[in-house]
Amino acid sequence: MKVKAKLKDDVVKVKVLAKHVNAGPEEAEKKKIDANFIKQVVAKCNNKVVFEMSGSGFISKNPLFKFKFKGAAKGDELEVTWTDLKGNTKSKVAKVK
Amino acid sequence: MDRRKFLGLGLTAAALVPATLSAVDFRETQPKTWEATTTADAIKGLYGDVQLIEESVTIKAPKLAENGGAIPVFIKSDLEAKSVALFQDANPRSAVAVFTVPKGGIIDYGVKIKMRKTGKITAVVEGKNGKFYSKVLPVEVSIGGCGG
Repeated sequence: MKVKAKLKDDVVKVKVLAKHVNAGPEEAEKKKIDANFIKQVVAKCNNKVVFEMSGSGFISKNPLFKFKFKGAAKGDELEVTWTDLKGNTKSKVAKVK
Repeated sequence: MDRRKFLGLGLTAAALVPATLSAVDFRETQPKTWEATTTADAIKGLYGDVQLIEESVTIKAPKLAENGGAIPVFIKSDLEAKSVALFQDANPRSAVAVFTVPKGGIIDYGVKIKMRKTGKITAVVEGKNGKFYSKVLPVEVSIGGCGG
């Protein structure tokens, strides 16, 4: 997973690139793999949730998420965590630049 | 017990377990939404019988998407909102993603989605005033994604 957070005029722009097959049931059957997709993404900064999303198998493979939030300074840590259907989770901490 | 019933039980059980993260997991709290085949049903499953006002929401997506496997979609709105939901009517099920807007959050989300064929993308914004705002945008898809 790659996380980039950039501060500009009080607003932090974040890009998250997660590595995941993200296949729904129909697609998984065709590719002969197990259905599995990112069901939730949460981003926290300074102990505050700044982004959260519930997903489905219709989000692209290796999904890219973009969002913006306010209330962070340079050097603050942003923690992004995703959970998939099988219960795997992955976290990444990135500093706001 | 057949598989379908077993899965159904699993969903009910999951709905009773409090979310491990502090966040709202719409997959667990609103399981009906994710099974709905049409956008109207999915919206009903998520928000109930609501009137949609077609204003104050913008969607940015390519008019003609060459690769249906990764269509960049951007949702923007200046509304004070609780949540934002994204649907389409090209895939077997309608719901794509539901965003929870944190306090003071900015609604400017970008995500890449899959579409099997040409269809319509619908974004619904749940305002803090209890009203629902929406926008519908047609997208032409030349090569279908999502195993299509």
